[in-house]
Amino acid sequence: MSVVCGNCHAILDASNENLAIFQRFKGKTDKAKPLIPLGSRGKWRGAVYDVIGFQRRTGNADGESFSWNEYVLFNAAKGFRYFTEYNGHWNDATPATALPEEQAFGTKYLGKTYKHFQTVTVATAFVLGEFPWQVRVGEQVRVADYIAPPYVLSSEKNANEVTWTLGEYVHGKDIWKAFSLSGEPPKPTGIFENQPSPARVSMGEVWTAFALFFCLILAILTVNESFAQKLQVFFDSYRFQQTAGTEASFVTPIFELKGRTSSVEFKTYASVENQWLYLNYALINADNGQAYDFGREISYYSGSDSDGPWTEGSHFDSVLLPSIPSGRYYVRVEPESEARFGPIAYQLTITRDVPNYDLYMAAIGALFAPAILISWRTFNFEQLRWAESDHPR
Amino acid sequence: MKKFYLAYGLLVVSMLAFGEYRGWSFERVNEVKNVPKSVRDNPGSYRSVYAVYHHYTGGK
Amino acid sequence: MTQPAMLCPNCGAPVLFRWSSSIQTTCEHCRSILVRTDVNLELVGQVADLPLDSSLIQIGTEGIYQNRPFTVAGRIIYSYSQGNWNEWHIVFTDGTSAWLSDAQSRYGLTFRIQNERVPRETDISVGKTFHFQDIDFTVTAITRAHYRGVQGELPFQYWDKDVATFADLLSATNKFATLDYADGEAVLYLGELVEFDSLHLRNLIGTNGQGGKSARLELPRLRRCHRPASIWANRVGGLRKLPRHSGRQQ
Repeated sequence: MSVVCGNCHAILDASNENLAIFQRFKGKTDKAKPLIPLGSRGKWRGAVYDVIGFQRRTGNADGESFSWNEYVLFNAAKGFRYFTEYNGHWNDATPATALPEEQAFGTKYLGKTYKHFQTVTVATAFVLGEFPWQVRVGEQVRVADYIAPPYVLSSEKNANEVTWTLGEYVHGKDIWKAFSLSGEPPKPTGIFENQPSPARVSMGEVWTAFALFFCLILAILTVNESFAQKLQVFFDSYRFQQTAGTEASFVTPIFELKGRTSSVEFKTYASVENQWLYLNYALINADNGQAYDFGREISYYSGSDSDGPWTEGSHFDSVLLPSIPSGRYYVRVEPESEARFGPIAYQLTITRDVPNYDLYMAAIGALFAPAILISWRTFNFEQLRWAESDHPR
Repeated sequence: MKKFYLAYGLLVVSMLAFGEYRGWSFERVNEVKNVPKSVRDNPGSYRSVYAVYHHYTGGK
Repeated sequence: MTQPAMLCPNCGAPVLFRWSSSIQTTCEHCRSILVRTDVNLELVGQVADLPLDSSLIQIGTEGIYQNRPFTVAGRIIYSYSQGNWNEWHIVFTDGTSAWLSDAQSRYGLTFRIQNERVPRETDISVGKTFHFQDIDFTVTAITRAHYRGVQGELPFQYWDKDVATFADLLSATNKFATLDYADGEAVLYLGELVEFDSLHLRNLIGTNGQGGKSARLELPRLRRCHRPASIWANRVGGLRKLPRHSGRQQ
């Protein structure tokens, strides 16, 4: 078997010692290839680091075996740090500077509480390059991960030692950029333990914001209720009988709408019993001829059938006219009904500056919908996150 | 995302306050301009020539 | 980089291998490909390489701790099954001694404490908590190590090369303690973990990685290929048809 050197075209045969070294090396390192080549150098978190070591570790969870890769980075002044990669998810880990406290509801470290995610026994499957301690294939440790996304607090225990590291979720593309690596980082699959939620806001934060806005709306309502005029400016009662051919419309006397431009409420009551009454209203400004034209129907039916008594409709109708400027106004009324109904009595009450309660409902709805949407997305994400842990929800 | 929701919420609440102040409503109301005050107020009721002659010139 | 400097056999320029088991590199001056022959290929993939002693600190390094200037006067190198670490003996201007522990770039500065009750070697285990000077300390590591070498001035005259037990203890803050069982009776050292930058060290070794004892004592021999090349040669079943070539190789 002969081999040709790719560049100098020298023919190397199997007895060539250089070739032997290359081939043996290739054989030993084919098992796992570091995605970040050893010897890479890059600027990371304000210092220049060299990637000097690589390790592949394997663990067993729920009967399934999984592996991840670790890279050792070194800077003479800053010391060591580690990149871990699992299914395209990267973490930047540094040794903890104090001892975390394991408590009942979580592990506390530097004021933050981390929730237990997983404990698993892992073994080194492959190791290349330098490590701060002499890692050997087969070396076993018990690893426990506690999360507070985007952070993960990890402990590694064997009989003689426990070490803690703090990891922060980082994106492959940032590593590729910092170390000027060619190609693309591996695409992440699934959701990793400390991967930050894409909404980047927790359910607690969203609903706190909603509660705050709700209180704000209540405050506005209180102010609105106390300052709105709610002044009745017109009231009258009428009787109407639909007859063929006659012009039924009439106008009311002039009344005044005072104050700022605001709403006007038209409340109609009609004593309809299994009848309907249609009223075509127009609110007309006596001075400039501006008219606001609209129609309202009032109907009420009642009866009894096999299921018992039933009713339909209402005797009352209320409508809010928007943004009517102040001034002198009168109303043109054009009633319509069916002749066979006979005379129908009705009353009209006009009130100036009434709060629009529908607007409050709309505002609350507009705030509620996105909060629900964000909560739903976050909930789904968190379900997927914890599905991989020792505590699936 | 948090900033979006807060900004959006502030917008909704401001619009609510402004809307209540200005009397906004969801009703569709037809606005008609220049409604005549009386039957005498119609396009054919006045002729500009009337302003020149201050006496009766004939016609009904 | 923590590798010893080597010289190119072709042009004599200094050569760096980019990582510890890297078996090839290219000389930046003459572009020869250089192959290392001393890498233990049996261990590649199986055992990590011990980092060479890359400490920047040396005897004579000066620094400041809590506004008190100190000088590095002596050094002990400890060796255990998986590596080494340094304990630097530092002396403050008022004559007080302290120890700067330098373990793979994690630094801890401790003072010997005499009037605390210390546990026996049989009483300690990883995870156990003890109370020193009103602070809770938990044992995080128990190491069996021996002295590998000493340098400079040390506050004691005698040491022996037998294996002894050393324990590291950490607290919920950056307070740090060690228990030294080398003399049979436990000796307690108490202090804190410190950041390298916070000591404002001067008179350090230059960063060419030539500090202290090297873990590999032999300089590797290098061979070269004829021209710079991609390393992985093309496999062929037989001889490839080539232009007539003298096949120069070493």
